[in-house]
Amino acid sequence: MTPVSLKARGLRKAYGEFEAVKGIDFEVYRGECFGFLGPNGAGKTTTMKMIYGVVIPGGGELSVVGRDVRRDIREIKRRIGVVPQENNLDEELTVRENLLVYGRYFDLPRKLIRRRVEELLEFVQLSEKSGERVEHLSGGMKRRLLIARALVNAPELVVLDEPTTGLDPQARHLVWEKLRQLRNGGTTLILTTHYMDEAAQLCDRLVIMDNGNIIREGAPQRLIEENTSPEVLEFRPRPDRLEDLQRLLETEAEHVERSADLLLAYTHDSDALMQAVRRSGIEIENTLYRRASLEDVFLRLTGRRLIE
Amino acid sequence: MRMHWPSLRGAFRVWQRDATIFKKFWKPALMPNFIEPFFYLAALGLGLGAFVREIDGQDYLQFIGPALLASNAMFAASFESTYNTFVKLRFGKVYDAIVATPVNAEDIVVGEYLWAGTRALLYGTAFTLVLAVLGLVHSWWALLLPPFLFLVGVMFSVMGTLFTSLIKSIDFYAYYFTLVVTPLFLFSGIFFPVDGFPTPVPEIAWMTPLYHAVNVTRALATGPSPEILVDVAWIVIFTAALAMLPVRLMRRRLIS
Ligand SMILES: Nc1ncnc2c1ncn2[C@@H]1O[C@H](COP(=O)(O)OP(=O)(O)OP(=O)(O)O)[C@@H](O)[C@H]1O
Ligand SMILES: [Mg+2]
Repeated sequence: MTPVSLKARGLRKAYGEFEAVKGIDFEVYRGECFGFLGPNGAGKTTTMKMIYGVVIPGGGELSVVGRDVRRDIREIKRRIGVVPQENNLDEELTVRENLLVYGRYFDLPRKLIRRRVEELLEFVQLSEKSGERVEHLSGGMKRRLLIARALVNAPELVVLDEPTTGLDPQARHLVWEKLRQLRNGGTTLILTTHYMDEAAQLCDRLVIMDNGNIIREGAPQRLIEENTSPEVLEFRPRPDRLEDLQRLLETEAEHVERSADLLLAYTHDSDALMQAVRRSGIEIENTLYRRASLEDVFLRLTGRRLIE
Repeated sequence: MRMHWPSLRGAFRVWQRDATIFKKFWKPALMPNFIEPFFYLAALGLGLGAFVREIDGQDYLQFIGPALLASNAMFAASFESTYNTFVKLRFGKVYDAIVATPVNAEDIVVGEYLWAGTRALLYGTAFTLVLAVLGLVHSWWALLLPPFLFLVGVMFSVMGTLFTSLIKSIDFYAYYFTLVVTPLFLFSGIFFPVDGFPTPVPEIAWMTPLYHAVNVTRALATGPSPEILVDVAWIVIFTAALAMLPVRLMRRRLIS
């Protein structure tokens, strides 16, 4: 059996009356990439913060790298890396200084920090910007610097809260590549994301959170197979025919979702479904055929589309 | 919520971070501290001093010069622990980044105390040099001024941090400076001795922090008497008694 790197049992957190995390269980194995999906406010960041000790659990158990977060948080923080959702780079320092100063917080020897900082600048392709003040970096560069910063202490586990939000496609692919390299090097990754393709590409296993609960767990492919039909037809009918088409699809398809003016029909036999729609004579402005993806699982389970 | 005992090592790392930034602009930052004493000494020492003959057997310039060292340390540490700390806490999110490392919230607060003390020491040393050049320092005991001003800086950092840990908006500092810092500046025996006033004025002064700091800086510049040990003890006890409260309150603002 793979050793467990993180284990949560009945983990909960309330802010005053409001319960942000309502008793969740999950385990992360050493060396895997574990994802958290969920709509805004689902409780993902709260869960991440409990892992790195900035939010104290209100109840339940949480152990990280084999240590209890309530008792050994300093030791845990020494061994993990953190990429927060909100950028908190030190604006008064240069790119290189940000890494050097951060390395000192871990009491690493000077020489080691210096060597690692140069390696990490190389790793996230910021060597050329090393003398620049942080405020002069683009958003994507800041994100990459945050990732480099999280690696200064050579952590065995890295928590990444939306590592690629706000990045252009190229920058995102670069980050994915770096994360894959890390994982292949044996580092455990825990990440949250709003991008289904990111989760599908990077995560070995993931959970979907909604309203403070974990509502599904599994490998991306398995989640798709178990929670939705394999084929999807997306229809955009004339607004006045939306209701009619929805009624028709509900009888013909296995499952229908509506997202604003878009109807998504799930089926095992898209040809037959298409025929039925044509026969009905309802005017369609736009039709799209595709394979079901994680996004469809998400939509079905949370009743919300992630990227509107 | 369990508090962790502050680690000096963690506090030192925070101090180091501040020092790294200070190193970049220490020359322009220290400059006003060479100039400011001249203004006070010129306006009050020479201007007002022309009308005031002698106080406690000292000429007026001598009377206020070393005393201003204490208020200088107070201002340095107060600005550091109010505006600067608030910006790091709320706008820069500097502390949010640090608490995710082995440096705990408690260490951050103590590190900021030490840094405020250091700033008071640096500014105070600059000021002391100016006083020495003007011939207002008469005793080798003055070598103890920098470490003493460090202590004064830590004391006012504890007070400023306490206020910072309680407020929601940066605008509230106007209250702190108007109702705490300015009255201390005016009524702690810097410009006139408070001991001669009828009760309860001296008693009230005795209960405030700057009064004791002024007694000590004045004495160290001219040759102290053992009485200042009481003032030093007052400062140490006051600081120690209050020090953990802001630590606790700031922790609550960083960890939920
Ligand atoms: N410090 C706090 N005080 C009160 N409520 C909070 C606090 N932090 C978070 N919440 C609430 O807890 C819930 C979960 O927030 P959280 O940040 O964990 O969501 P999330 O899943 O990360 O969302 P997003 O995808 O938008 O980042 C939200 O309803 C939020 O308003
Ligand atoms: Mg979040």
